[in-house]
Amino acid sequence: MTGRSMIELIGIEKRYHSFQALADLNLTLQEGEFFSLLGPSGCGKTTALRIIAGFLEPTAGIVRIAGQDMQGVPANRRPTNMVFQSYAIFPHLNVGDNVGFGLSRSGLSRRQRKARIEEALAMVALEGFEDRHADALSGGQRQRVALARALVMQPKVLLLDEPLSALDKKLRESMQFELRRLQQSVGINFVMVTHDQYEAMTMSDRIGVMFDGRLAQVDTPTQLYAFPANRKVAAFIGGMNFLPAQLVGEPAGRLEVMVAGLGGLDIARNQGVARHDRELVVGLRPEQLHISRDEPAGFDARAQGTVTDAAFYGETVHYHVEIAGVPEPVVVSVPNHFHTVDFKRGDRVWIAAQGASVIDLGARTDN
Amino acid sequence: MTRLSRLMPGLRAYVLLYLVFLYLPVLLIPLFSFNDGTVVAFPITGLTLQWYGQLASEDALLRSLRNSFIVAGATAVFSTMLGLFAARAYVRNRFRGQRWSEGLVMLPLVTPVIIVASAMLTLFMLIGLRPSLATVVLGHTFLTLPFAVAILKSAFEEFDPSLEEAAYDLGETVPGTFRRVTLPIVAPGIVASLLVTFTVSFDEFVLAFFLSGDRPTLPVYIWSQIRFPARLPNTLALGSLLLGFSVLLLILAEYFRRKTRRIAADAKR
Repeated sequence: MTGRSMIELIGIEKRYHSFQALADLNLTLQEGEFFSLLGPSGCGKTTALRIIAGFLEPTAGIVRIAGQDMQGVPANRRPTNMVFQSYAIFPHLNVGDNVGFGLSRSGLSRRQRKARIEEALAMVALEGFEDRHADALSGGQRQRVALARALVMQPKVLLLDEPLSALDKKLRESMQFELRRLQQSVGINFVMVTHDQYEAMTMSDRIGVMFDGRLAQVDTPTQLYAFPANRKVAAFIGGMNFLPAQLVGEPAGRLEVMVAGLGGLDIARNQGVARHDRELVVGLRPEQLHISRDEPAGFDARAQGTVTDAAFYGETVHYHVEIAGVPEPVVVSVPNHFHTVDFKRGDRVWIAAQGASVIDLGARTDN
Repeated sequence: MTRLSRLMPGLRAYVLLYLVFLYLPVLLIPLFSFNDGTVVAFPITGLTLQWYGQLASEDALLRSLRNSFIVAGATAVFSTMLGLFAARAYVRNRFRGQRWSEGLVMLPLVTPVIIVASAMLTLFMLIGLRPSLATVVLGHTFLTLPFAVAILKSAFEEFDPSLEEAAYDLGETVPGTFRRVTLPIVAPGIVASLLVTFTVSFDEFVLAFFLSGDRPTLPVYIWSQIRFPARLPNTLALGSLLLGFSVLLLILAEYFRRKTRRIAADAKR
């Protein structure tokens, strides 16, 4: 990342009659960044992507790409290319002609075009596939062709609309790494739209989380996970227990809180949340909690409770623990070390947490 | 055996009889066209190809055949062209009055042709358009447009809109996208539409009868001949040829229509 801004969205708004698809979207993407727009379906993320691509005109606001105002510049003259959710491989053309489709207006000679097509196919590990017909490709290969067809245009920004959703789970995981590697080797901006938090987290430099047409938070995956800006973001990314708490004191940049069931804790103040108040909500990640039969030592807070449910996920086991004074059962997830931890419904257990892993989510009335 | 046919043992026989009554009269035409007697009655007195042979020397017939080819050809091109744009708009866009517009386009399928024909004749006379092959083409374009729209709509429905967006995104112009992506992908649908509209126009009688003036198309010619008993065997031979030709065109049309679906389905995979 060189620190130069590549895409600027300023006050973007998109309205369809009375429906507000996007409201006051402001976003600046640095050159070379892998950025994801993450949110549930209908949150406006695809609309935002299509506005960057030029398929939609915003109702209000400015789109700048590489410093240039894109108003009135149609999709076919923007320095962006798109990988479509369906991949949109031209069914009547072979792989070489698909990849070379956009080069026909480039003024390149036949030879140069051939070289560019070869280069693009090599980038996606499809060397020698030029003559393969479109209908003879697997799902993964279709995606690679779609990538090569966009990258061969040498765009400043590559837009990806749910690029992995059409692939099966195994392939999806390996493609995550491959997309990331590809982005780093070509060094251009990738802007990806996804509803899958894991995809967004594993690949992106930064993530913009969207709800109801608005950006709720823009941050790096680790920051997003550790300091969600509100309860909605906290609940969307990873699992989260929400516990009521009371503010006791505010020593320099920190908060002293009394958490329901767990007692007094000294936690980091979350700068991202809107407002603090006496009545707070704190978040505890299920995997950050300790669970044991005997009272554990070395934790900042602990509480005793009863297991109400156990769910076996394979790599982890989830326990629901009811604790006196806590409104909802607390979810604890532990790695499955071949049943070294094995509780049954009704077991009395201890759960424990460190102050460092408790997340300040701000005033209770805001959530 | 399916459950229904077990429950109603007579169903198979009923269906068989139904089909026989429906198609037997049509099949009699080619049969009698090879009969060497001039009377259409059993028994067949002998087999001959003379009626077919005589067709080639009928000047009026050849002229009407030529007229029919001109009319059907022009009709197929016009209604397929109109249908192509209409079908794309209906499938891709949502606009005010869309359902009304689609309903109006499909209306000729259910309006009595004789009413349409007399109304058109009146209208053309009113605006000073004399009956000619051109007026038949206008009438037939109106009549065949629903077929073109229906066939091409199904071609576009199977067609992923991202394909056009992808081409545009890759720097192609709007007409370029239409030429390089839309046309090749719906091409089989276009061929199917051309064949079906050609066939419908080629066989159409009522509009042609009202609007052709002194240049009859083939069905009008056949009608004029059928009144003379002596001409009957020739007419039967001609009818058989027409029947075979139509069936052939429709089979071809169905082949191309299925091909569009296959191409589009591949693109979606």
